[in-house]
Parts: sequence; C-alpha cells; structure tokens
Amino acid sequence: MIMTQPKVALITGVTGQDGAYLSEFLLAKGYEVHGIKRRSSLFNTDRIDHLYQDPHAESQDFKLHYGDLTDSTNLIRIIQQVQPDEIYNLAAMSHVAVSFETPEYTANADGIGTLRILEAIRILGLEKKTRFYQASTSELYGLVQEIPQKETTPFYPRSPYAVAKLYAYWIAVNYREAYGLYACNGILFNHESPLRGETFVTRKITRAVARIALGLQDCLYLGNLSALRDWGHARDYVEMQWLMLQQDTPDDFVIATGVQYSVRQFVEFAARELGIALAFSGAGEGEIATVVKVDGDKAACKPGDVIVRVDPRYFRPTEVETLLGDPSKAKEKLGWIPKITLPELVKEMVEADYVSAKRDSLVKAAGYQAYDHHE
Amino acid sequence: MRRALICGIGGQDGPYLARFLLGKGYEVVGTSRDATSMNRRGLQSLDIEKRVEIVSMTPNDFRSVLQTVTRAVPDEIYNLAGQTSVGLSFEQPVETIESIAIGTLNLLEAIRFVERPIGFYNAGSSECFGDTANKPANESTPFRPRSPYAVAKACAHNLVVNYREAYQMRACTGILFNHESALRSERFVTQKIVRTACRIAAGGCERLRLGNLDIHRDWGWAPEYVEVMWLMLQQPVPEDFVIATGRSVSLEYFVERAFACVNLNWREHVDHDASLLRPTDIRYGAADPSHAARQLGWKAQRNVDDVIAGMSQAAQHELARARTP
Repeated sequence: MIMTQPKVALITGVTGQDGAYLSEFLLAKGYEVHGIKRRSSLFNTDRIDHLYQDPHAESQDFKLHYGDLTDSTNLIRIIQQVQPDEIYNLAAMSHVAVSFETPEYTANADGIGTLRILEAIRILGLEKKTRFYQASTSELYGLVQEIPQKETTPFYPRSPYAVAKLYAYWIAVNYREAYGLYACNGILFNHESPLRGETFVTRKITRAVARIALGLQDCLYLGNLSALRDWGHARDYVEMQWLMLQQDTPDDFVIATGVQYSVRQFVEFAARELGIALAFSGAGEGEIATVVKVDGDKAACKPGDVIVRVDPRYFRPTEVETLLGDPSKAKEKLGWIPKITLPELVKEMVEADYVSAKRDSLVKAAGYQAYDHHE
Repeated sequence: MRRALICGIGGQDGPYLARFLLGKGYEVVGTSRDATSMNRRGLQSLDIEKRVEIVSMTPNDFRSVLQTVTRAVPDEIYNLAGQTSVGLSFEQPVETIESIAIGTLNLLEAIRFVERPIGFYNAGSSECFGDTANKPANESTPFRPRSPYAVAKACAHNLVVNYREAYQMRACTGILFNHESALRSERFVTQKIVRTACRIAAGGCERLRLGNLDIHRDWGWAPEYVEVMWLMLQQPVPEDFVIATGRSVSLEYFVERAFACVNLNWREHVDHDASLLRPTDIRYGAADPSHAARQLGWKAQRNVDDVIAGMSQAAQHELARARTP
C-alpha cells in the first residue's frame, strides 16, 4: 500500500482564534500542520494547548516554530524547512482601535509581513507548489461605498489597521498576477467565538455580562453602541479559508452572513441569555443600560442596576459605522452557507464565559486569587 | 516668512518645487538620505543650490523624521521622498514600501507629535489606478494597483486620508500622472528615449532597447505640476486632486516624436528587449483632471508634444555643452 504524503500547511498566527479552529480543522483532514508563534515571557498557547504534542513522541502532525512577521530571515528559514503546500497568513496586529496607537508596528506586521511571506515563496522557488491565503478583512470597506459590500466594492480604510490590510490585499493580488502564484484574499467580515480575544467587543460583552451576573464586575464600559456589524462564527469561516485554497484557480471572496446587528443589540442578546432584560436610555456619552427584569437564577443583579455605560476612550478617531457583507459569490462558487446564527453564537459565547466566571467565583470563594484581567 | 520642508529634494520635482517656493518668498529646507553625497545637479542647473538648506533625513526612521521636523519648524511639508521607480519596485518591494508607506506614516505621526498645524502635501501616483481602460480616472476612481510601487503609493494615499479625517490634519495627496522634464533621470524610459535619440543624432551608434511600446500614458511637464502642489496646500479645505494634461498617447508615439525632433526615423534605431518587460504592467493610463480645473482653476499648459520638444531641446543643449572644451 502506498502512503500518500500528507499535505503540509503552515499557519502564521496559529495562537489566535482562527489559528486554533483552522489547526483543528486541518488536522482532522489529515494535514501535517505547522504553526508560527511569537516568543512571549508568558505562555500564549491557551487556544492550542489541546493540540500540543510531545516533541519527543514518534509521529508528529502538529509542530510549532518561533517566528515573527517582522523578521524576514526567520520566515524564509521556516518556509524553507517546512516546504508547505499551503500557507495561511493569519498573523497580524489585529485590533483596530490599538492600531491608532501603534500604526507603524501594524503596518510592519500586517502589511510588510505579508510581503515578506510572498517574497519568501518566490525566493525559495515555491511558486508552483505553495498556495497562499491572505486574511483580508471587511475593515477594508471602512466608510462603505455601497451597501451591502461585495468583492467589487471600492475600499475606504478608516484605521491604520485597515490601511495596512489594504497594502496586504493588493500585494497578494499583484504577486498572483505578476508571478502566477496561487494567492487569494478571504475578505472575511467579523467572526467570533468563545475563543475570541477578550478585548474584542463581542467577547468583552459576553465576558462582562457573565461576570456582572456573578457579581465579579459592576459595569461594562463600551464605546459606539450604534456601530453595525455582520457577525459570523469563526468555526464556519475557517472552513472557507481552506476551501479557497482548493480551487482550480485562485480568486478573492467575501465571507459574511449577510445580516447585521448593532453593538447595542449584541449586548441585549448576551444579557438575555442570562435572564437579564435591559433598557437603554440616554444618548451619546450619556447612554446607559439599566436592568429592568431578571428571570431565572443565573444572574445576581437587580432591577435598577446600571450595568452598561459609555466611555469615550473607546471611540475611534475615525469610526466604521456599518458593515454588511454580500457573500453571493462565495455562495455560488464555494457553496458557502453560514451555519450558525447570531443568537446561537451569542449563546455559545455567553455559556462559555459563564462557566469561566463561575470557576473564578468558586476560586475566590475558596480563598484563592482568580485572574482578574483588565484593559 | 513661511518655511517649507521638501522631503526628497534630490529627485526631479524637488528642485523645481524649491525654485517655485523660493520665488514665492519661502525659506526652503530640503532633505535627502545623505545630504553630503546627494546629487545636486538639479539644484545647480536651476541656480538655487546656495539658496536651499539641505539636511539628512531617512524616511523610514521615525527618530530621523521627528528630529528633522522639530528642527525645521516648517509651515508646509512636501513629501516627495521614496523609491520612485515602478520597474525597480518588482526587484526591491520591501525598500519600496518602507520608504513610501512607512515614510509617509512617519511624517504624519511627526506632525501629530509636534502639534502644529503644518500643511502636508503627499506625492500620490496615477499608478494606483492601474489600467484605466477607456474610463479616464478621476478622484473617485477606485484604486487597482499593479506593482509593489503602486501598492505602496495606495497605502500612503489612504494613510493621508485617514489622518486627515481622524485628526483634522491639513493633509492632501496630489495624484499626479507621469510628469517629465530636463531633470528626469535616464533610468526613466522617457529620458532614456530622448537622450539616446539625441546622442545618435550627434553621431553616436547606439541602439535603443525598449520593452513594451503598446502602453499609453498621460505625460505632462513637471515644472508646472509642482505649482499645483503648492496651490493644493493653500486651499481652505484640504482635498486630493488628479493632476494631468487629460491626453494620453502610446509609448510608440513618444518614441516616434522624440526621434523626429532630431530628424531620425525611430524604426531604424530601436530594438525590442524582452528583459525590459514588467511582470505586470498598465496598458492604459488615462486621466480626467477636470476637478482641479474647476476647484483650483488649474489646467496644464503643456502637453506631451511640448514635453518631448522641451526634453529634446535640453538634451541637445547639454550634449553640445559637454562637447565644447
């Protein structure tokens, strides 16, 4: 019996939300998966620890390498060693608000970092072998030039993050056209999950609602409550990243649910999961959400509690007010159907964060110190 | 007295802009990566070398940029710096994006840092539009960049928009289509054609090697384009403009006219060189500069025929001077 060589995938940003779901997905498909992670003085592999394999063990299909998108020689060496059939460039400084404070680093990692990988493929003569997926983003649409947004909608980036991603998008297209590289952009709209980073608004909300319900936090401070987004589940979306690399010819695709909600609505849904009914009042910086009714026994708050307030430090210098994707091209050519609805997504996230909050409150009750991260 | 800082004064546009601003009574400070070894021929040929202060500044080094801006205390900054060759950008994509995009970002951040209302002009490029086919590009035409140079310029362009909107900066980008002059370096195909034709006409036996002749561009005259850069910074509300003549011709047309200027038939002197073909190129670059005409009252006075004649005259003049002892 001839054993076919497993396909080899290299994921940059393997420790992130998508990196974790994608690793699981590809391992289940029989891939050998390599991931690049940055060195940190603290363990940063929480999301993929369950995939970790003892490096001393016989066969290994999940391997991690130290690396950084800002380091050319490092990237070239890793790609040389791994000889990947597929590269998923998920690594980035990925927080829109933070990019206003670290614009140069963001451009370097998100923009030039993408160039470094494309150049590595060329320099190593891997143009015909290695397929490249670029994590592009609905943030490119920014001040949207049409509604809903699709592949042909002009870009109007509204943050240093989005401008850096704009560079990455177009350099991927250029290398595809100039050198015949199989490179494609997944223009993914927001996608969330229980693995989402805690400073992203959706996870910030579900964590806060759970902690407020269990008396670990008093109030949730948010920015623009009226911002509208098209939210999907990351697990659905990483499957499309893979599918884009399996086509006969490379192409760029929007992945979205085609439905949008406001941040305010997300808060309402999250609270409702724990039996909390909220009423919003006031406007702008003065807007608040007050508990109106509490059903069930999951939440310890009382009617009259103000649990959401607005803090202007969360407003962005230039805001993206609305994003709404039109994924018809992916639907037609890739068979894309979002499986998980927003209410289901919120439920999954709130339940997971409620379990964590419960654990923290038990730990505290037993006299131990629970992690109490703030940002 | 107003002070202007011209970043990248050693290229083609820098000296013309400096001359123009000096004529308007500005104090002019110019930068180059190395002030001592910079090519000053341009400034010398316009007789302004002694009237401009030159300092060393590296666009992709924030410390260097911040130091330059804080010391110069300019009222206006003209960012002409960065790698300028589309062809070379395929070989040096990292240097291209660092000098163009990070360079622009560093200047924007430096202006934010010093907290003074400095006017900022950024050198944009028609290359960002990609192939315009039969739809001349205007300010709202979407970008479709086709080279690492164009991608970097698109990035810089969008950074300027973002900083203008996020921080109310007086910043704008001139989306200039190709603009030539006597100061154009021979690395650029226009000057390469003109100078080679003149040398052949003066008795030389070179062959002119060219790549793709079936590309169409809008070529204008650099000395008048720099005036619009200044005009853009005088507007009460900063805005981006397409600057061009509005007439595009093929490179073959350019070659034919350049050789005709010195009474030669180009077909007898030109060889096709496949190694000069670019991995991706723009077939048609066409412009609609009507917004600048309406808003700024500016229209190009010289079109491509004047450009070719002007460059040819200057090249012949220089050849003659080189021969006289």
